[in-house]
Amino acid sequence: MDKVINKIALKELLYKTADDLLILGHRNSEWTGIGPLLEEDIAFSSMAQDKIGQSLAIYELLHDLGEADPDTVAFMRNAEQFHNCKFVELPIGEYEFSLVRHFLYDHSILLRFQQLSTSSCQPLAQIARKLVGELRYHIMHADLFIKKLGTGTDESISRLQTTLEQAIPFALGVFERSPQESDLISDLIFTGEDDLYTRWCHEITKVIESTALVLPQHNLSEAKTGGRIGQHTPHLQPLLDEMAEVLRLDPSTDW
Amino acid sequence: MYGGGNTFEATKFDNLAKEDPIKLDEFEARIAGGEKIEPADWMPVLYRKQLIRMIEQHAHSEIIGALPEGTWITRAPGFKRKLALMAKVQDEVGHAQLLYSAAETLGKSREDMMQDLINGRSKYSNIFNYPALTWADSTIISWLVDAGAIVNQLANSKGSYGPYCRALERICVEESFHLKYGHHAVIHLATGSKIQRQMVQEALNRWWPPMMHFFGPPDRISVHTEVLMKWKVKMATNDECRQQFLDMYVPKIWELRLSVPDPNLQKNEETRQWEYTEPDWEEFKRVINGDGPCNKERLAVRRMAEERGRWVRKALLTPDAKYVTPLA
Amino acid sequence: MALDSLDPRIKRCNLQEQRTKDFNSQPLDQLPTYEVFIQLKETKAFEHAGIVHAATPDMAFLFAKEQFSRRYTCTGMWVVPSDRVWVTAFSDLEENIYDQIDEMPAQEAGPEEDYEVFHLIQRGKQHQHVGRVTANSHLQALQKAKVRFNAGKPILNVWLIKINDLQTTNLEDHVIWSTLHEKTHRDVISYRAGDKLKQFKEKQQPDG
Repeated sequence: MDKVINKIALKELLYKTADDLLILGHRNSEWTGIGPLLEEDIAFSSMAQDKIGQSLAIYELLHDLGEADPDTVAFMRNAEQFHNCKFVELPIGEYEFSLVRHFLYDHSILLRFQQLSTSSCQPLAQIARKLVGELRYHIMHADLFIKKLGTGTDESISRLQTTLEQAIPFALGVFERSPQESDLISDLIFTGEDDLYTRWCHEITKVIESTALVLPQHNLSEAKTGGRIGQHTPHLQPLLDEMAEVLRLDPSTDW
Repeated sequence: MYGGGNTFEATKFDNLAKEDPIKLDEFEARIAGGEKIEPADWMPVLYRKQLIRMIEQHAHSEIIGALPEGTWITRAPGFKRKLALMAKVQDEVGHAQLLYSAAETLGKSREDMMQDLINGRSKYSNIFNYPALTWADSTIISWLVDAGAIVNQLANSKGSYGPYCRALERICVEESFHLKYGHHAVIHLATGSKIQRQMVQEALNRWWPPMMHFFGPPDRISVHTEVLMKWKVKMATNDECRQQFLDMYVPKIWELRLSVPDPNLQKNEETRQWEYTEPDWEEFKRVINGDGPCNKERLAVRRMAEERGRWVRKALLTPDAKYVTPLA
Repeated sequence: MALDSLDPRIKRCNLQEQRTKDFNSQPLDQLPTYEVFIQLKETKAFEHAGIVHAATPDMAFLFAKEQFSRRYTCTGMWVVPSDRVWVTAFSDLEENIYDQIDEMPAQEAGPEEDYEVFHLIQRGKQHQHVGRVTANSHLQALQKAKVRFNAGKPILNVWLIKINDLQTTNLEDHVIWSTLHEKTHRDVISYRAGDKLKQFKEKQQPDG
């Protein structure tokens, strides 16, 4: 690293990003084999694999910074040690929920990586620059499906609208500020959650406005926060137990 | 993943009497000369019917085959296994897509095929009616069931129908990854801790009988398939595929010091054939007719997926876009 | 009756046992199909890869990307609605389809348009892109293609696609394939376990 930066702040940023991607990748992987259309099943599974791969890249960076190896970090912590937002841990629900989450979350992660690609933390900037390409596909996919289903039938529009209203407060939880937010900004690691939020609003509004959907009025004060400091919904711990079920049969061995 | 060989209809030779004898001669000469038949070519009604039947069963086997291993997607131990299993199950869905497409070129729509699957009018490979009880079961499936499928599919990829052969070539390439991944995972269990070795031995014990069923009943009691062999719809007999599988994989099982749950299994060095305890073909019939441990669940899951996805497909339909038979 | 499942994903769906006989009570919701062509390297021709079901060309493109280029390399992709491909008859072995143009029915001339031309030179293989011609009808496009591309082996079958019907990749979208070569979890090479096996066998030797 070029200069001495706040390592705690950096790690917190890395953990929350990686944890988001890991948990969302896991959730989205649940659709593999039971998707609404064979082609969409395949596309959705690829994006879930991408997300898990992205989380792995960041856990590897954390490992370089002195944290435990990726498998231990990802599969051996408990819920209160996870920094993901609550949004990503919610069950997959019906397809409209998974789709709306994919749309809302993926816009935020693309913008995050776009910002991080000029981060003062070189290894992070490198990862970010690389992943922006594959995330472009995720956004093309999310936008197209929101546009198609958001202008499709009365049923599809109403399903998406209802879900959007339920999802927005959770989506706002993505932008929960870090305790060391100001250090990240002053060290030029990251331009900060508020900046990200502003850009995100712009992007999602553009897409929603091209559909029959109405973006609910929203305000960061309604955000479902707490995830970033280890406070989670009851859905996370059972998911983590499931993820680690086999590993925990014998954690000391190579599977 | 498909073993094939199991549910051909008895061929009615009088069907052929209705075909134009000159066209039939040309068709058979083309196949005998090693050429492929393409969708726009003339073909006997029976050829089309049996191909649709076979490719459709194969496609169903892929989409249903995604379910037993899918059981372990959220629990795969660690990043490497998690990513591999996701990609593996995704490939099975992809294979279904390729195979339904190949069958579509013969004139049956995918939705029709999906309905026949869910209604129970169309079969799929029997082996997927068994449960993947532990993680080790999923690794045995990835290794041995895919190995068996490759034996069958490599043979069929030399068949006569162009679109099916092309799909199979692509599928075999992808399944070589499945096989390697499965073997890798089994090696790790078999050479690992006591718990792991026990898990994988137990899984092998469970999957061996369905694996012996996988290639279908022995040739001596199978329905006659001579004309299908002549037309290169069916490329190898059930027993040939089974023997080839045993030849390739029993030594690999033994080198891991795992035991095959058949005391009579041995290679007769004189005949160069494997001898084994005859699988229980009554059970095979019972399971294929719906009475296996997971038949109900497999079809119910597929039905649920179709029903939950229906609003999506409906919303995507545009009135001006019409379905035509795809080209190749 | 609720069905129990070993699969936690399925368990969460609260799967019900169902009679399956009444499933086809609904009309078919069959989407149209699109033919997909991919290019593996910039120096290689686009080749037919298969079909996808999709609502629109842009959706077909997104689906095709993951169905036909989730491994190895890819530098471009084209999709076209199946009913927008103009197809000649198949010629028999050793006969060239271009030699039969004179027997094809005449076509009315329309506006000049660009057509992409695809050849099949062996049954069982895929159609390959050979180039582009400008013409006022499919038949004229075929005649021009004969002049420009008819060389070497007999051509068994020709596909013509108006370029306005083709959905192609924008150059700036090529980044969607940029990390493809790193998706090694889908590759055989990532699963070598020979050393582990060898070690295991060596350890077994003394007593076995």
